[in-house]
Parts: sequence; C-alpha cells; structure tokens
Amino acid sequence: MTNPQLEVRNLRKSYDEGRIEALRGVSLTINAGEYVAISGASGSGKSTLLHLLGGLDVATSGEVLFENAILGTAVNLDEYRANRIGFIFQAFYLLPTLRAIDNVQVPMLAINENASSRADRAESLLREMGLDHRLNQYPNELSAGERQRVAIARALANNPTILLADEPTGNLDSVNSARIMEILTGIQEKRGMTLIIVTHENDIANAAPRHIRIRDGRIES
Amino acid sequence: MPSQLSFTGFAWKNLWRRRLRTLLTLCGIGMAIGAFVALVGFSRSFENEWLKLYSSSGTDIAVVDKNFMNSSVNQSKQETLRAVPVIDRADPMIFNIMDITPDVNALMFGWLDDSYEFDSLTFSSGGRFHNGKPEIILGDTLAKTLNKKVGDQLDLQGSTYTIVGIFHGGTGLESGAVIMPLDQLQQLSSLQGKVTGFHVRLKPAPAGESADHYLKRAQAEIETALPGLNAQPAADRAANNQFVTLAHAIAWGTSSIALMMGILGIANTMAMSVFERTREIGILRAIGWKAWRVLMLIQVEAMVLGFVGGILGIGFGWATLKLLATLPQTASVVSTNLDALHLVESLGIAVLSGLIAGAYPAWRGSHLSPVEALRHD
Repeated sequence: MTNPQLEVRNLRKSYDEGRIEALRGVSLTINAGEYVAISGASGSGKSTLLHLLGGLDVATSGEVLFENAILGTAVNLDEYRANRIGFIFQAFYLLPTLRAIDNVQVPMLAINENASSRADRAESLLREMGLDHRLNQYPNELSAGERQRVAIARALANNPTILLADEPTGNLDSVNSARIMEILTGIQEKRGMTLIIVTHENDIANAAPRHIRIRDGRIES
Repeated sequence: MPSQLSFTGFAWKNLWRRRLRTLLTLCGIGMAIGAFVALVGFSRSFENEWLKLYSSSGTDIAVVDKNFMNSSVNQSKQETLRAVPVIDRADPMIFNIMDITPDVNALMFGWLDDSYEFDSLTFSSGGRFHNGKPEIILGDTLAKTLNKKVGDQLDLQGSTYTIVGIFHGGTGLESGAVIMPLDQLQQLSSLQGKVTGFHVRLKPAPAGESADHYLKRAQAEIETALPGLNAQPAADRAANNQFVTLAHAIAWGTSSIALMMGILGIANTMAMSVFERTREIGILRAIGWKAWRVLMLIQVEAMVLGFVGGILGIGFGWATLKLLATLPQTASVVSTNLDALHLVESLGIAVLSGLIAGAYPAWRGSHLSPVEALRHD
C-alpha cells in the first residue's frame, strides 16, 4: 500500500514578473521512503521543483502538501525545514567560520536540543560519514568530497524524514561522486528515508528506482 | 569529549574567525566613537575649566555691568561697594583675551597686588607683582609653552613686562593665563579708570540666617548701593556667562556632528558587514533557522562589535585629548579627565548604533526567501 508523503498539485513558479516560467503546472506524488531522481537540462526547472518541495521558496500558484497538509499554510516552513527536511547542495554551503563538528550542530540549535547531545550526535554522524579524523577541521581544510560528507551529516542532524539533494555530485570527481552516491543510497535504505536527488547525470538518474524527467518546466516522463 | 557549539559561541566564532573583517569593523566603530569622545570631551573640558575658574577663587558674588563680554564699570565704584556692610572684600578685575605670540593667545587678568584671588594660585617660582610696575606672572602651562622663567621679559602689544612669578592655577585656563597689575592692563587695553567688574567675598553669614537667604540679601544690598549694576552669585555667573553659554553651544554642536558622523560610520560598517553575509543567512534559513534567530545572531555580534569598538573608541578619543593637551594652541583648555557619564554615554551610543545599524540589513537578509539569499554573491 502506498503512503503519499509529498503531493504536488499544479505547481507553477515564475520569475521576473511572470516573464520567466520555471515550472508550468507540475503535479506528482512521492511516497514515504521512496528514492526519486529528477533530471533535466540546465534551466528545465528541476532545482526550482526541489526548492519548492523543501520549503525553501514559495510557488506562484499550486500547492505542495506534506502528509496531506499544505506547506506554508498548515505547515510552517521554518519548522518543516528544521524538522522534516535535510538539504544537500552542490556547493556544500558549509559555514566557513565553523569546524566540521560545529557545522553539523548548527541545525540542532534551531530545535533547542541540549548542548551535550548536540555534540555527541554531530560526532556520531561524522564518524558514520568516515570523518572521525576530520572533526575539528574547518571547511577550507577539507577536500570537496569531505565537505560534501560533512554537508550530508549536517542534513541528517535533526533526523529528517526527507533528504533533498541538489546536484550533490556536481562539484566532485568520479571517485568522490560514487562515494557520495553510495552514502546517500545507504542512508536511504538504512533509515527508510525519502531521498529526492536532482541531477543532470544520466548514470545517477537511471540508477534510481524512480526517475522523473523535467523539460521546460513540465514533467516529461 | 566533542566540542559543543552554543548560540553565543557561534556568534563569537563568526567574529573570531573573520579577524580581519572584525578588526576593520572595530576600527570603523572605534574611529566614529573616538571622534565623538574627543570632540565632546574637548567642548566639555573647556566648559568645566571655565566653571572651575569661578569656583576656585572663593568669589561669592560678581558685580558686573549687564553684559559680561562688554562689561565696563567705573573703578571708582569700588569705595561704595566696600562700604556695603555684608562685604568682606571687593576687588576690581579686568578680564581679556590677548595674542601673546602669533600662535598663542591667552586669557589676561588684571588684579590688584593684594587681591584675595591670589589665594587660589600656587607659585612654583617667584611671587606676586606690584601695582604700578610693568610686571606679570604667568601660568605654568603658558610659561612652558613660551619657554619663559622668572626674570625673563615678555613683550605684549608693544610694551615689555618682567616675569616675576610662575604659578600653578586652580584650572587649566588659569595655568595658561597671564595676570598683571590692574593698572598695567588698564593701560594696555586703553581702559583707564574702568574695570570688567568686581569680585566680592562676603563676610560670614550671621547665625540663624541661611546661606541662600544671606546671598540674596547681599545681592539686594549691593544692587541698592550701586544702581544699574548686577550682583550675581558666582555659581550663577559661572554657569550663565557668555563664555560658558558659548562653550555649551560648541559642545552641543560638536556633539551632534560627532554623533551623526559616528552613527553613520557605524551604520555603514554594520550594513556592509551584514550585506556580505547574505548567503550565510540563506544557509541558516535553509537548515531551519527562524528569521528571528538569525536576527538575534547578527544582533549579538553587533552588540559585541559595538561594545569592543566603543572601548577602542574611548581609548582613541582619550589619546586624542591627551595629544591636544600637549599642544600649545589647546593645552590651556583641554583636560584629559573624561567624566564617567560621557564614557557610559559613548559606550551606549556604540552598542545602540551597532544594534540599530545591524538591525535593518539583518532583518532584510533574514526575511529574504532562503533561495534568494543563497543565490547572493
């Protein structure tokens, strides 16, 4: 039996006072625990869709529902991002003033978890990412692959139910790409999380059990 | 035990890890507050010195014409004044300002050689002048500036005077002043027979009469004896004479300009500092931080910057005043004593300006959609 976790209804997003239409009426359903790849050419609207699914942005029209509640109306976006979503970005977006272990603790400050459990959890997540020896390094002291692993640990900090990854391997060489994908799919299987990956790499997209293709702001298949 | 990150620790790390930017921001705030401290301190110290000048001489009442700056009273009224029963001493005096050299000007006082106002001076060498003789005494600050000592001569407006004493005055203004026999200053200023006014020391108040009542009675008796002249309590005279009013106006004007400069400087520095961090704000928002929490983080940083910048500014302002106190042009009117209220005021302005100036860009940044903030370069 399917268990719809995210539902998108006729989603539209335009920029520049309507002159640029990034999404032109997208509808889809994603079940809890599903692994979905969204692919498409540059400018097709795939990242915009991911941002709307993650509550990073609001749609021009249409709705995104999380567990049957409308985002931004019935669900507060800040709380949704803090508690339900883990984001992974192509550019890592680590905070340069903080060590790896501190970066992983930042999301936990948003949910007022106590200090010692924050630190313990951050350490355990970084160990899980194979970064036991890099806990106290600053982002500029880490390799690109290591940075992305810290970013994954950070995304998992608040035990989200959905992991959203926007071109997670876009800045990595093939070896590190493979490693990151192995980690992400491992997490999805082990924790039963929903994993949605936006990618333009066919290998990655085709490896996902479900593959959504976007073209010119519409779902192609 | 793994390192724990707290909210304040995060704010501190943001400042500490960006040492150059923090330092530049602190310099910006420090310069602005330093200018405020120095300008206001300069004006206030001038005002305070003037107030002390009156209070240190032991004068109870000043008898002057209606307009202090142009006060001109016949010296002959001295006898009538001295006959008023409540008066112990009534000494005529002239007050003037004169160019001593092209670079240095000084306050000039003309006193009788037995004036009670000598009581507030301490001679470091030599002693009093004598009426009728071309003799002068110099305040120690002025003597040092002019490199003069007892026995040397000084030319003033074409006349030569012998320095017979170097004194330390009760105020910086006195220490930078020239005092000469009344008759000599009358001659030098073409004011023969005229004085600026009389400084009066009263007899002790009779038993059972309050000091206030006694002072008012003395004023009334003097004004009855010398119709047309004003008898003003020294404290009122000190607070309300035109020099102090002018000093107040200077203090107010310079404070306002300095404050405006300071606040604009801090606002600019803080705004730039927050603007540069828009992407970081976007990251925090993307991982679930609420807008108010981001705002709080930036405000905590702004408060720390304002406080430390304020302390640096006070140090910078104090150093500027110290420098001014050593320059001959300003030594007599500048004191390095900064009153506690001024320091608290300066620190308060630094912290508040930091908070206010940081608030708008932080509010703007924290209310951008996370995607917009993340796209920011």
